[in-house]
Amino acid sequence: MDFIRKALKELCSLMTLSGYEKRGKKRLFDLVSPYFDEMTEDSFGNFVFIKRCLKKNAPKLMMDAHFDTVGMMVTDILEGGFLSVVNIGGLDTRILPSSEVTVYGKEEIYGLISSIPPHLTRKSREKRSNPKIEELYVDTGYSKEELEKIVSVGDPIFIKGEYTELLNGYASASGLDDKACVCAVFDAVRQMEKSKMEYDVYVTVSAQEETGKCGAAMCAYAIKPDIAIITDVNFGSSEGDNEFETVKCGKGAAIDVSSLSDRRLTRGIMKLLDRENIPYQVICEPTNTGTNNELVSVTGLGIPTVVMSVPLRSMHTPVETLNINDISSLSNVLKTVAYTEMEAL
Amino acid sequence: MREILKKLSEAFGPSGYEDAVREAIENYIGADLPENCSVEKDRVGNIYFHVENKGKPRLMINAHMDEVGFMVTGITENGFLKFGCVGGMNPLVLGAKRVVSENGIKGVTVTKPIHLLSPEERKELPSVDSMCIDIGAESKEDAKKYVHVGDYFVFDSGYVEYGDGFIKCKALDDRHGCAIMCKLIDDIKAGASTEYDLWFAFTCREEVSYSSARCAAEYVKPDLALVIESKAVQDIYGVPEEKKVCILGDGAIISFMDNSTIYDRGMVEHLISLAEKNGIKYQKNKYISGGNDSAAIQKSIWGVKVGLISAASRYIHSQANVVKYEDIDAMYKIAYSLITSEILDIKE
Repeated sequence: MDFIRKALKELCSLMTLSGYEKRGKKRLFDLVSPYFDEMTEDSFGNFVFIKRCLKKNAPKLMMDAHFDTVGMMVTDILEGGFLSVVNIGGLDTRILPSSEVTVYGKEEIYGLISSIPPHLTRKSREKRSNPKIEELYVDTGYSKEELEKIVSVGDPIFIKGEYTELLNGYASASGLDDKACVCAVFDAVRQMEKSKMEYDVYVTVSAQEETGKCGAAMCAYAIKPDIAIITDVNFGSSEGDNEFETVKCGKGAAIDVSSLSDRRLTRGIMKLLDRENIPYQVICEPTNTGTNNELVSVTGLGIPTVVMSVPLRSMHTPVETLNINDISSLSNVLKTVAYTEMEAL
Repeated sequence: MREILKKLSEAFGPSGYEDAVREAIENYIGADLPENCSVEKDRVGNIYFHVENKGKPRLMINAHMDEVGFMVTGITENGFLKFGCVGGMNPLVLGAKRVVSENGIKGVTVTKPIHLLSPEERKELPSVDSMCIDIGAESKEDAKKYVHVGDYFVFDSGYVEYGDGFIKCKALDDRHGCAIMCKLIDDIKAGASTEYDLWFAFTCREEVSYSSARCAAEYVKPDLALVIESKAVQDIYGVPEEKKVCILGDGAIISFMDNSTIYDRGMVEHLISLAEKNGIKYQKNKYISGGNDSAAIQKSIWGVKVGLISAASRYIHSQANVVKYEDIDAMYKIAYSLITSEILDIKE
C-alpha cells in the first residue's frame, strides 16, 4: 500500500497530457527500474517494461495502462493576458470555470479559467447555457506582450488537482485516469516472484489513449502478446447514478464483460478469482469499453484481451476520486493471473 | 499587508461562523493597545476597534469578515453530503472543487460525469440540487462520524500570487477589506492621528443579508461610514467594454451607486478629492450591479452618510477570487487619508 500511495502521488504530479507523455519518462523510469529486466520506449511516447519468468519460450502477457491525461492546449494569446484554449480529450466545460491550471510555456505559469459571478449573471436576460470551450479563457495575470514572451500557441495546459487523501482510503487528484492503473500494474509486477510466473510480462504504459486510443495498439503490434490485459478506470458510482452502468468504489477491481474482449479469457479469469476467493466486481459494457481494448483486440491477427478496471468517481475532472484499496485489489488480480496458465478463445 | 491578507483569507469563516477570522483579527488588533483605544464586541459577533475622541463626529470604517460557503443539508444512504449555498454563487463554479469542513474534513464536489449525461442533460446548467460533496464516507452512518447536518464547508483554495501583481484566494471578498483595516489600526498604533471618534467595525453575515452591519451602526451610531468591499467585475476577454464594470489595476473603485445604495454625494466627492489630492489611483464603476453592507448602514439609526471604496474583483464568490495588490494598496491609501485628514463637514 505504501508503494501505491507513493507512486500515485508521484505520478499524479507529472504533466503527461496526451502527446506529452515523454515529459514524465525520467521520474517514471526512476520509480520502477528496480522491478524490471528491461525498459524501453518507442518514438510515439509509449514505454514498455519487461519482466521475464524462468521458463524458456514462455508466452507473453501484456498489461496495459495509459499514461496520458486530458487537458487543454493554447490556441491564441489575447489582450489582457488571456489565452483561448481547446480541449485535449473529453472535458466537462460545466465544471471548468474558476479551476486552476498550469500553462507549460517556456516556463510554467499559473492560470485560472474565467468565470462570471452571480452579481453579473442575474441581470442577464439571455438564456444561459453551458459554456463552450471557446467561451472559456485562461487568465494568466500578464499583459499580452509579456505573455507572448513566455507562452506560444500549441503549449499544453494541465488542469491542477493536487493529490489529496480523504477518509477511508479515498484519494482525489487530477489525472487518476489512468495513473491509478499504472500504479496497480507496477504494484503487481513489483510483487511477482519469477519462479511462479507463467508468462514473460510486458507492461505497456501507453500514450494518447484519451485522444484516439493510439499507443497501446502500437505496443501490441510490436510485442505480439499471447494475452493482453487492458487496465483503465471505470465509472465509480456516486449519488443518483445508475447502479448498472457504474461500479462501487471500495469494493474491489472490476472485470469488464464486453463483446469486444475475449469471452473465454474473461470467464476464465472470473472463475480463477472465484476459486482463489479474490473479490471483484463485474461491469457489463455490451458494446465497447471506451478503452485501449478496442484497437488492441484487433491488432495484428487479433489478440485475446480482457479489460479490468478501478472504479473512479468524477472522471475527467480535477477531483477524480477513488479508493486506494481498489488499486491494491487490481494489483492482486493481475498477480494472480500472471501466476496461472489461462486459456483464450 | 500581504501577510495578514493571506492569513485572514485562508481562515475558515462562512457567514454565521466567522469565529476563526474573528479570533485572528482580535489577536492582531488587540496587541499593544494605545491608551485611547479599545477592542469591543457586540452580541451578533461584530468586533470593533475604537479610537476615542470624545465629542468628535463618529466615523465608522467597515469590512465584513464572512465568506460564501456551503451548509450540509442532508446525508444520503451512500454517505454523500447534500448541501445548500451560503451566499450567492454561480452553479458553474461549483462542480469538481475541493472543499473543507469546519472540522477540517476534506471533500470534493461531485457532478455526474459528462460521459453518463444524456444529450439533453449536457445542455442544461448544472444545479446545486444535483450535486453533492464526497468525503470518502462508506455510508450514512460512517459519514455521521465526521459531519453533521448543519455543518459548514468552504472552498479549500489557498493564497497564490500570480502574473503581474495578481492575488488569488478564496474569501478575498472581503478579507482584503479586513486586512486594510488591520493595517490602518497598525498605523494608529504607530502614532497616526485622527480627529474623528474613529471606529473600525469588522462585521458578520454580509453574504446572506446585510443585517449584522445594521447592529454595528446601532452600536457605533456613526455620523459617517466608509465601507471597504469587493466589487464583482468581469474585465475578461470577450466581454464588451460597457459590461466590464471596472478594470483590475485601474485603482480603488469609488462608487456613486450600486444595486443596494446611492452613496452620499458629499462623501463620494470627499473621497475623490482625497484621491486626487494625494495622487492615488481610482476609478468609478461603469455598470450598476451588486450590493453590500452600505445598504444596511445607510438606513440604520437616524441615517448615516455612507461612502464605498472597493477592489475590482474577478471570479468573486468562487474558489478563485482575484484582486490586484496595487488596487488594495490604493484603497488603503484613500482610507488612510480620510482618517487622517480634517473632518468632513457633515452638516452639508
